[in-house]
Amino acid sequence: MAEDSGQKRQETEEGGGREQLLADAVADYLDRQARGEAPSIESFCRTHGSLAQDLKPLLEALEVIEVTLRPEPPVVPGPHRDSQLPEFLSGHKILSEIGSGGMGCVYLAVDERLGRKVAIKVLSPCFRDNPLLRERFMQEARAMAKLRHPNIAHIYSLGPPDEAPHFVMEYLEGVPLTEAARPLTLRQKAELMHKVVLAVEFLHQHQVIHRDLKPGNILVGPELEPKVLDFGLALQTGEHATRLSSPGDVVGTPNYFSPEQAGGSSPLDVRSDVFSLGAIFYELLTGEVPFRGETFPALIQRICQDDPVLPRRLDPAIPGDLQNICLKALEKNPAERYSSVREMASDLERFLAEEPVLAVPTSYARLMAGKIDQHLRELEGWKQDHIVSEQEFDAFRRLYDRLVDREDAWIMAVRRLTLSQVTLYFGAWILVLGAALVMLFNYPHLSGTPAVLVVSAAAASTAWVGVRSWQREQRRIAIAYLLAFCLLLPVALLVGMDRIGLLTGLTRNDQTLEFFARFESFKRTTNAQLWWSVLLSLPVYFWLRRFTRASVFSLVEAVMAAVLSVVSLLRMGMLGWLDSDPGKVYFELIPFAALFFLVGMLIERFRYPADSRYFYSVAVVATFISLSGVALFHEPYADWLKRVAPRTRGQLEYLFIINAGVYLLLQFLCERLPLAQMRAVAKTFRFVIPGHVLTSLLLLGLAASDLWEKSPSSAALRHEARFFEIVLPLAASLFVFGSVPKQLKNYLATGLLFLAIGIVRLEEDLFKQRATWPLGLLVAGLLLMLAAANYSPLRMAVSRAIRRRP
Amino acid sequence: MDVVTSSHDLIERIKAGDQEAFAALFNKYRRRLAVLIHFRLSPELRSFAEVDDILQEAWLRAFRDFAQFTYRSPGSFMSWLARIADHAMADVARSQGRQKRHAVEMLRFRSASNPAGPEPLDSKTPSRLLAQEESLRRLLDKLNALPEDYRQAILLMKVEGLSTPEAAERLGKSKEATALLLHRAVKRFRALEEPSG
Repeated sequence: MAEDSGQKRQETEEGGGREQLLADAVADYLDRQARGEAPSIESFCRTHGSLAQDLKPLLEALEVIEVTLRPEPPVVPGPHRDSQLPEFLSGHKILSEIGSGGMGCVYLAVDERLGRKVAIKVLSPCFRDNPLLRERFMQEARAMAKLRHPNIAHIYSLGPPDEAPHFVMEYLEGVPLTEAARPLTLRQKAELMHKVVLAVEFLHQHQVIHRDLKPGNILVGPELEPKVLDFGLALQTGEHATRLSSPGDVVGTPNYFSPEQAGGSSPLDVRSDVFSLGAIFYELLTGEVPFRGETFPALIQRICQDDPVLPRRLDPAIPGDLQNICLKALEKNPAERYSSVREMASDLERFLAEEPVLAVPTSYARLMAGKIDQHLRELEGWKQDHIVSEQEFDAFRRLYDRLVDREDAWIMAVRRLTLSQVTLYFGAWILVLGAALVMLFNYPHLSGTPAVLVVSAAAASTAWVGVRSWQREQRRIAIAYLLAFCLLLPVALLVGMDRIGLLTGLTRNDQTLEFFARFESFKRTTNAQLWWSVLLSLPVYFWLRRFTRASVFSLVEAVMAAVLSVVSLLRMGMLGWLDSDPGKVYFELIPFAALFFLVGMLIERFRYPADSRYFYSVAVVATFISLSGVALFHEPYADWLKRVAPRTRGQLEYLFIINAGVYLLLQFLCERLPLAQMRAVAKTFRFVIPGHVLTSLLLLGLAASDLWEKSPSSAALRHEARFFEIVLPLAASLFVFGSVPKQLKNYLATGLLFLAIGIVRLEEDLFKQRATWPLGLLVAGLLLMLAAANYSPLRMAVSRAIRRRP
Repeated sequence: MDVVTSSHDLIERIKAGDQEAFAALFNKYRRRLAVLIHFRLSPELRSFAEVDDILQEAWLRAFRDFAQFTYRSPGSFMSWLARIADHAMADVARSQGRQKRHAVEMLRFRSASNPAGPEPLDSKTPSRLLAQEESLRRLLDKLNALPEDYRQAILLMKVEGLSTPEAAERLGKSKEATALLLHRAVKRFRALEEPSG
């Protein structure tokens, strides 16, 4: 027994060794094959001597697999190789071949019974032997035969089963869409496209996705009636396959494929046809296909990745609305396209009815946002090099602003406030008001610790819900909650301080300087408490800005900082000054204005350039208030003015002209800073200058006239009054023409207004009851108008006269 | 093996922009790829995405990404194609898992609203390409009858055309063990043949 088993083991070992040898030989054979050596079975076996007998059947078995896997003999499809035309199909005499496509070819035939020409589409011979394809071809034809639409090629009949698979359809004498569209106006093109889109919509309504829309498949007759052909054939026949596998096939360039069709990554739906329609529309408008590629793979890549050149860049005459429709259909992501052909048709209808279209393609916005900035940066460079003038630059920027405005208007139109949105903010506001009541008033049953708990709970829960919503991408809701929190935070701090009894010290130990002490029914919250609660909240707002990246928190920060400034003034004793010396309030405001400018500049320079505008706004408002207030009420300033300008008519009169000087200076400074938002500030200062200067001149003139009236004999006073009378209209005219270089309409309007006042003042004194004054004005006005209307010839005449003189 | 030697020429022609060459090249590997795909598709996926669809998909992707292919050895194009088919299958599996077959996709098959559509394919029916030819179908049947590891060995080394070291790496076995596995697989395969025909 033991011997027996030992022998067996030996055999298996021996057999195992032999098996390994055989296995290695088989593997070697396959490896040689893989390397392309292609040894024959006979010769290979011969080299393996004793193994050959076992090896051969194994290799032969492998050869069976090899033979089965060998490529099919290449099929040569297409009518080019199948040059013989059948004589008759469905009883119609075949005249000639008029075209070929992926699935087969089209013959021109004549229906002798009805005496009309017909087109017959025949399945390509190489597919005829495939019963599945054959059946499918006929099924599609049957389905199409049921569809009747004036803009869809009509199918008359199906071929009988004993003939080559074919169907008879209406013969169309037309030209491909893009060719037909070439001489048309843009409006006609839009109308033509509209018809095509409606025809495709009809197909979609009948559950047929065309999948092969291209200008060649849309023929246009002499009446500009398009006819869509070849629909549905591509539906599930796997036409890419047939198409690409057919050498010499003429339809091999998928210029109108959608990205999903080209990439083959997702199931096709109606939006694939939308893309193709967009591509066709693009070509219709611009005369060029949207995507071009040297090779098939390059083209596919363009379709999947590149944005097409904006149609308006190819032809500026194309209306923006048509461009938008086209680009909306050409969105890469199907979800961003028109979700149905119906929507595209509706937008075309809107365009034809001269209404604004709804399409706002994201590719367009993307392009705009990127390119506007880039272009403006470039222009800035040119401007600095004095190649582009200031006004040219402004003109560009205004144009772009208008573009962006339109986008904003659209967003506004779409983002109408809904009931829930209004309710959200309404709720937030009521929440804040409730907390404010707890902070402001005494409630016997809600004071001390319960009050602190209630308000803190409100603040904490808004913060928590806000942050959670933000993390869940519910941005709008989050902002509503966080804004409520922004207001609740200082309130909660105040209630807390009140409870603990923190910072109860009075401003300068004077009850009358306390803001809340002025209101009988309020709690005794001190200025110091107010100040600290706001100050402690500011870093939180800053953090919220960083966390959410929503600029609204910068607005909150700026507003609360402004509140802090006012409270600072309160702590400095503002309430006392208001009673005794109001000018001091305004004077003390000046450093705060400067501080806001500084903060704005720092923010613009280092962190959030766009957010600086909130701080600048506060700064500008503070500057205007403080400078005007100082000029009006500041007594030391008035005294000083009287000393340095003894002939002053009072500080009000000088106020405007001096402040105008200050604004001019500020404007100059702001413009010199390399900060974009700062330049907007410069504009604000520039804006108020003409009003200030001219008001000042008017007031000075009125004061001078008053003085002169009191002592009519004084020649000096008379000269002075007359001087101001003449200076006012002159200065006004200066501002009118000053509007030209920087395109400041405000200068024009203010100048014209004060010119009128000046002219009336001259009439009242210098030209009293003299007819020459109005007549002179009439003539001068007429001459100026004539000169303006003939500006160019006049200029040439003048320059010629000047040249002739030497 | 002229398939392999001419592959190199074809690849050069494709790189030079010859689109027909691509079709010809793909055709050479079409059946191998179809067989591979057939067995790599999980049974439940076979009902959604037929081998032909994956084949087409792989084809388009191969065409699109052809620039990324570099010729290293005669078999490298086939293994490249196999890899692309794997990606295509993974994507289909993902998209099938994610979205239920929505209306658009239902259009493909015959229903009351779409009388023109084809009958849905039975999950057991081999795909069209594979069904077209008797010999190919017999091959599938026989491969199907093999134990899983035997079938893998044949698919890797005979169909995908991997060398022994490559197949060994893929299977996580030694070269010798891989050769042995293949040997037994071929023996079993041959044994299957004898009784049937």
